[in-house]
Amino acid sequence: MGLILSLGVGWFVFPQVLYSEKQQPFNFSHPAHVENAGMSCEDCHFFRDDGSYAGYPTLEKCAECHAAPQTDNPDEAKFVAEYVEKGKEVPWLTYQYQPDNVFFSHIAHNAFDCTDCHPDVAKMDKTPTYYQNRLSGYSKQTMKMWQCERCHAENGVSNACFVCHK
Amino acid sequence: MGVNRRRFIMFVAGAVAGTLATPIPFKLADDSSIWTQNWPWIPRLQYGGIAHVPMISKLGAPAPVNVTTAGGRPCAVTGNAKNPLSQGGMGALAPAEVQLRYGPARIKGPLKKAGDSFSPLSWEEAEALLLEKMKAAKGKVAAVCGDETGTAAEVLSGLVAGVGSSAFCLMPGESHVAARAWNRLMQGKGQPGYDLENADCVLAIGADLFESFGTPVRNAKALAASRPAGADSKTTWIYAGPVRTRTAAVCDQYIPVAPGAGAAFALGLAAQLIQMGAAAEAQGFEAFRALVTSAYAPAKIKDATGVAPEAFAALAKTLASAKRPLVVAGSVMGRGGAAADVVAGLCLNLLLGNLGKPGGLRAIPEIAPVVTGGLTRSQMLKADLVDFLMQVDAGKLPAPEVLLVHEANPAYALPEPETLGKALAKVPFKVSFSPFMDETAAMCDLILPNTLSLERFEDLITPYGSSFASYTMAAPVAAPACDAKSTADVVLGLAKTLGVDLGFATFEDVLAARVAALAESGGFMSDTVMPWQAIADGSAPEGGDLAEGLGTGTPWVSVAQAEQGGLTFPVQVLEKALPGTPDAAFPFSLVPLALENVGSAKVATPPSNLTTIRDDELKASSLCLAMCGQTAAKAGVAGGDLVKVASARGEIMALVDIDEAVMPGAVAAPLGLGHTAFDVYSRGKGANVCKVLTVSAEPVTGLPVWDSSKVKIAKS
Repeated sequence: MGLILSLGVGWFVFPQVLYSEKQQPFNFSHPAHVENAGMSCEDCHFFRDDGSYAGYPTLEKCAECHAAPQTDNPDEAKFVAEYVEKGKEVPWLTYQYQPDNVFFSHIAHNAFDCTDCHPDVAKMDKTPTYYQNRLSGYSKQTMKMWQCERCHAENGVSNACFVCHK
Repeated sequence: MGVNRRRFIMFVAGAVAGTLATPIPFKLADDSSIWTQNWPWIPRLQYGGIAHVPMISKLGAPAPVNVTTAGGRPCAVTGNAKNPLSQGGMGALAPAEVQLRYGPARIKGPLKKAGDSFSPLSWEEAEALLLEKMKAAKGKVAAVCGDETGTAAEVLSGLVAGVGSSAFCLMPGESHVAARAWNRLMQGKGQPGYDLENADCVLAIGADLFESFGTPVRNAKALAASRPAGADSKTTWIYAGPVRTRTAAVCDQYIPVAPGAGAAFALGLAAQLIQMGAAAEAQGFEAFRALVTSAYAPAKIKDATGVAPEAFAALAKTLASAKRPLVVAGSVMGRGGAAADVVAGLCLNLLLGNLGKPGGLRAIPEIAPVVTGGLTRSQMLKADLVDFLMQVDAGKLPAPEVLLVHEANPAYALPEPETLGKALAKVPFKVSFSPFMDETAAMCDLILPNTLSLERFEDLITPYGSSFASYTMAAPVAAPACDAKSTADVVLGLAKTLGVDLGFATFEDVLAARVAALAESGGFMSDTVMPWQAIADGSAPEGGDLAEGLGTGTPWVSVAQAEQGGLTFPVQVLEKALPGTPDAAFPFSLVPLALENVGSAKVATPPSNLTTIRDDELKASSLCLAMCGQTAAKAGVAGGDLVKVASARGEIMALVDIDEAVMPGAVAAPLGLGHTAFDVYSRGKGANVCKVLTVSAEPVTGLPVWDSSKVKIAKS
């Protein structure tokens, strides 16, 4: 009985308890921007001239189009009211946040598809739930070091410490 | 089915075995380790675009640099390759520009003296208090400024003049001595400049070219360029002085010259050159020839200079056979030197016939002021701060009612701090604009913290020593990291409320007017042609978009020269250039060394520079006093001894360091240590050498000299 109960708790209950569910500050639809507005991925997610990756677009960039609501969408209204008008950057929850001791260069991994590492949000009309580890504070989707190492090994790239840890 | 002991143990054992077969223990161990690496008080990196923004570093010798920003936040200082004054290099203090923004010595906002401490007040209250005191002073106002290359000095001088005072003094520097020598004694026009880049033989007498003299970054770049990798050296570099300094260490030849004998050495060399046929057309040459050949013949000054006649002959031959020889004379410590030393060096250049020629001595025209009532640099250099304070101390001049101190730390960096400190103490209301809690700020009644260079509009006008006129400008890189304001703007605001018309409302407007005036005055943007190339070609390029170029860190440059008329050999000041007779009470000459990594007259050692101070400069918390074995034997001390170094005006403690790079009879120690204020990283480390510097009056000019103080040494 103890064996069965612990296996049940360990494999089914524990993973549920370990992560809290969080939602993004408001829903963001990638298809609405790509398919309806005709935008490309690089309009918002681009490499700067110095080679660094811009990541999320800044509020200033978003406000170029959303200085005022363009639709009746309540999420857009919330964005304009709570962030654009207040000049406050959106506190997006990052599914793949890496700590400061990891030096990750997007441009060095430019040959891969974004979805090799990131959730395929480009096709999602609703932002996925963010599962936050109650203990470590990281997202459930955060890549672990062994995943980096495996990919490096498979592609013949060095796994020396200084490759990622400066 | 009841629960008995056996069943309970089986349940627990099963639960343990089952748990071990789940992710629980492994996941918890892993997450716990990550949790311990993410304490909330650990700051996180803030990412953003990387940019390299031009700025001007003025913590040490002023030089244009770039600041690397990430997401607009300054995070590192790098060289500015576009600017001929730096060419991608920078001084040892420049990297601290970013770090010191957050340094513990930074003053967070306006402060008012309250007993022995300070209490904060708002800018409105602070400016109102300053206004009240300025009005009450009724023109009895003085200002001390440590930024001789910036337009901010012009603004401050305009205010002082506007309230009816003439007491505006720059902090002492090499340019003071040069102005005294060239403009006042030799009747020369413009600012002396040295075309190191085009010279093929450079003799530095005393001048610590690559550490403290004029434009040390540019000078070092000239040295590097003259020694191309894999090719022959294009220039012979020779250093003459009492200590084999860092400059001497990288020169091709080092000639030990007794302390205080720089002028005599130069005149001995002049005698040798005249004997070889050298002559000059300037007034007074015949008297000069008569003087040097009789009083400074190498054989006669052998003992006074410590240089053998054969060495004079060999050096004269080297200079005479060079195509473009150049002599640079100055003080080892970069300030407080005698005008005679510089006069003798300038006379050598006239004898070598290099005035105005490529690779020679050049007279750089002055840039006209734009602020109403503002002084030109040559006007500023006429006033002598040490002389002024000594007269105030002696009661010969009344103490000002208000003293404004800008970018300067006179309470620390002037000689005889006790004497001059008494003069400062006589001023009823002292105001410091220092961004740091330095010794002067600590004794002031009101502190209005200036922003740092990277937080304000800043400019750089032809630093002393440069062979070309130049103007570099920089806009703020970042907002102030604390409640500080640009002093230039504060002064402009104060002038307005006092009813003094300086012609501008903001410092940005002042700089815009300066740029507009320069656009009308010829010159060119030095983005493709370097000024020394134009000098070598004999061309005078013009053109370029000033506003656009200055925004990218490229300077405006002019290779025009000031016309001379009435240039004179000032024989009278050279008649008494031999070192004085030894003083039995103070038998040793102290040679203070200005080492930029240790600090400057403006800032103490930044935390990042502490590890660059060597064990023979500062050991634990003791200053090291370098001397050769012969000197140590004469003083009766040995290496490692703790000694008291005393002059007629003060004393300090130091550890003896035996170093054969110092001439017999001389002892050397670095400036910049022994702070009693600033921060925990620099306070109480070593001793302030300025405490034993003794001011004496130079023969003929009567102006203060303190770079060759006499001291005695006694084992503690």
